[in-house]
Amino acid sequence: MNERTRRYLRGRFGDHYRGTELSPPPQPNEREWGYITWSSGGTTMIRHHSWMEVGDLRTFLTDERPRHVYFSAGRYDDPGAGSMSKKGWRGSDLVFDLDADHLPGVDPDEDSYAEMLAVCKDALLRLLDLLETDFDFEDLTVVFSGGRGYHVHVRDDGVDELDRSHRREIVDYVMANDVDFESLVNRESVAGLGLKNPTDKRSLDTTGGWGRRVHDRLLAFVDEVRELPDEEARERLQSFEGIGAGRSKKLVEVLDDRYDELAAGNLDVHPTVVRLADIFAEETFAAETAPIDEPVTTDINRLIRLPGSLHGGTGLAVTRIPRDQVAEFDPLHDAVPGTFVGNDIEVTVDEPTAVELGGGSFTVEAGTQTVPEYVGVFLMARDHAEKGKE
Amino acid sequence: MERLHARYPFFAAAREAVDAAAVDLGELVTRPDEPAVDRAVDRVVSALTDHTIGEPHGDDRIELLSYPVARVVVSLVDDPVVTRTYAKAEAATAHERVLADLDGGDDLKFTTNDTDLTVERLLAEFDLEDEVVPTEDGYEVAVTRYLQLAADLDDPDWRLPRRSLAAGDVPVTRDELLELLRAAIEERVAAGLPFAVPDAIAAELDHAVAAVEDVLSDPAIPTEFADVDPAAFPPCMDALLERARAGEELPDHSWFVLLSFCATVGMHAEEVVAIVDPGDETVAERIRYGVERVATSEGEIAYPPVSCATMQTYGDCVNKDETCETIAHPLSYYETRLAADD
Repeated sequence: MNERTRRYLRGRFGDHYRGTELSPPPQPNEREWGYITWSSGGTTMIRHHSWMEVGDLRTFLTDERPRHVYFSAGRYDDPGAGSMSKKGWRGSDLVFDLDADHLPGVDPDEDSYAEMLAVCKDALLRLLDLLETDFDFEDLTVVFSGGRGYHVHVRDDGVDELDRSHRREIVDYVMANDVDFESLVNRESVAGLGLKNPTDKRSLDTTGGWGRRVHDRLLAFVDEVRELPDEEARERLQSFEGIGAGRSKKLVEVLDDRYDELAAGNLDVHPTVVRLADIFAEETFAAETAPIDEPVTTDINRLIRLPGSLHGGTGLAVTRIPRDQVAEFDPLHDAVPGTFVGNDIEVTVDEPTAVELGGGSFTVEAGTQTVPEYVGVFLMARDHAEKGKE
Repeated sequence: MERLHARYPFFAAAREAVDAAAVDLGELVTRPDEPAVDRAVDRVVSALTDHTIGEPHGDDRIELLSYPVARVVVSLVDDPVVTRTYAKAEAATAHERVLADLDGGDDLKFTTNDTDLTVERLLAEFDLEDEVVPTEDGYEVAVTRYLQLAADLDDPDWRLPRRSLAAGDVPVTRDELLELLRAAIEERVAAGLPFAVPDAIAAELDHAVAAVEDVLSDPAIPTEFADVDPAAFPPCMDALLERARAGEELPDHSWFVLLSFCATVGMHAEEVVAIVDPGDETVAERIRYGVERVATSEGEIAYPPVSCATMQTYGDCVNKDETCETIAHPLSYYETRLAADD
């Protein structure tokens, strides 16, 4: 990035902050604040600032015009102290970070920005389901990071005081770490009539946890099979390895006759049901976990991007998303700052590049080009273009 | 009354009973052969030697008074490992008593209903009534509280991913709840320890402190190794390394123990920089400075890393494996693994 580009972006970030009302996180005076400037080679975080030093947020942002702005998940007695041990920890928000770079099934070299963000959005919805359904968290702030993913800040009662090992357990739950089908099966010893030896009665929990999620999936499949005409039902069952014609016939009967027991969690209605449940357990873990960035959640002192600020690597706004609008949110449209809409600017591009942004697709050839300002800002911030002379 | 207080001296009501009896602890500890002082030493020494608090004194009053005296002794010893071990032992004994009192409470013959031990009474004692509610088959614990109470329990069945978490609550059986309460008791015992003890009282308890310090053995730890082999690092150091690599600013004690460990196994500052790979010159500088501080100019280690017990106290003992069960010091782990790899 050359000096002219840097000066331009810094100036326009300042214009943006002059025209925008930002709301700080709760208890801003107890948090550490940090930022990265536009200086060349500028990846050094200036940190350990207190709210006192930041002062009025808008004045700080319009004067400093930083490239990136962060606040701490943690709250402290003395947030401006130069080292963590001197700050005096009071508590921390519980923060989750979904980063497209780390998602399974995403290839940052192959997939477009839009594709990566779409995959990330799916993961976000799974994360929210776990946090809301299983954990019953209610005070959630969902944020588009302005870059490659989403953040969720949780501030429910009781979360504040959790230390890193407690947060680690939450991570493990969300990712279904250290849990497999066997560990979810409840075994109750029954010494039944006519049984020589006591035997285990195997069941899945239908009330909560990963057991409930596996059971829901298994039962949904059973419901689907029962809806089918017998022959199709048998074929559907035979699509699983190890289920032949004879077994599928018997199974179709069992799924009907002993449906209530199955619905109550009993797996011992037929030997094959245990195997099916095992298969659906793997499917559940793959389909319902959220691949969050673990160190972000376990680090109680983490610095997180300030919602409302601009991401210096894209020029997009770090955007708070109201919970009921998460499903419809389109980062490539909704996070384009109004400041950069309505002007065209000249940029110089070395290599031809394609950008999908603001509801349009742009193919930018090499050389000096006139593009909508938000496209130019995006390309410059990502180091794909320099500011043209004007 | 007295009986319940003697059995559960950390209850708020027991403390009030001591206050109400207007016993001057400062005066009590000056009495020669005071049985409450002897019993206090026994509580702490038993905690260190066999993780119990020893046999209760036959006199409930002495038994009750020995608890605040034991807290004074622990404060004077002023060692985080002793404090933690003592709190754990008090909690373990209390847990056994709770089980006995709830199940076989008939032979205890408490005189009034409000001193009968019940689960509800325990929940109220630890201010958990809002976070733990009875259900048909047991109890439901609010998940954030569950995480705190279950943190020290090793059995994988306590892991959150295996629990039936629903709507923010973790269902537990009654026996499981009582085990969780052990952690609450431990926290109660450890709260406020160590505190400042007036010199006059400290002087009277010299012999008690000496008795405790006598049992604090200093096991020989290995400090010379044939090889530098990060693959033989114990899981606790691996975990600290991983956090440092992820860019986390470790708490001072964790940072110190990691650098000290690396230096003791024979790594030079630049090797430590390379393995942490901070990607940030400030952190690299911090590593060089730290490694220099722990090692003397002759290359000897001025500050060896801490034991497993201390690592546990600081919450840095994580991901324990089979080798961990056989050693008491991270350096012993390293020595064992090096030998096994040869």
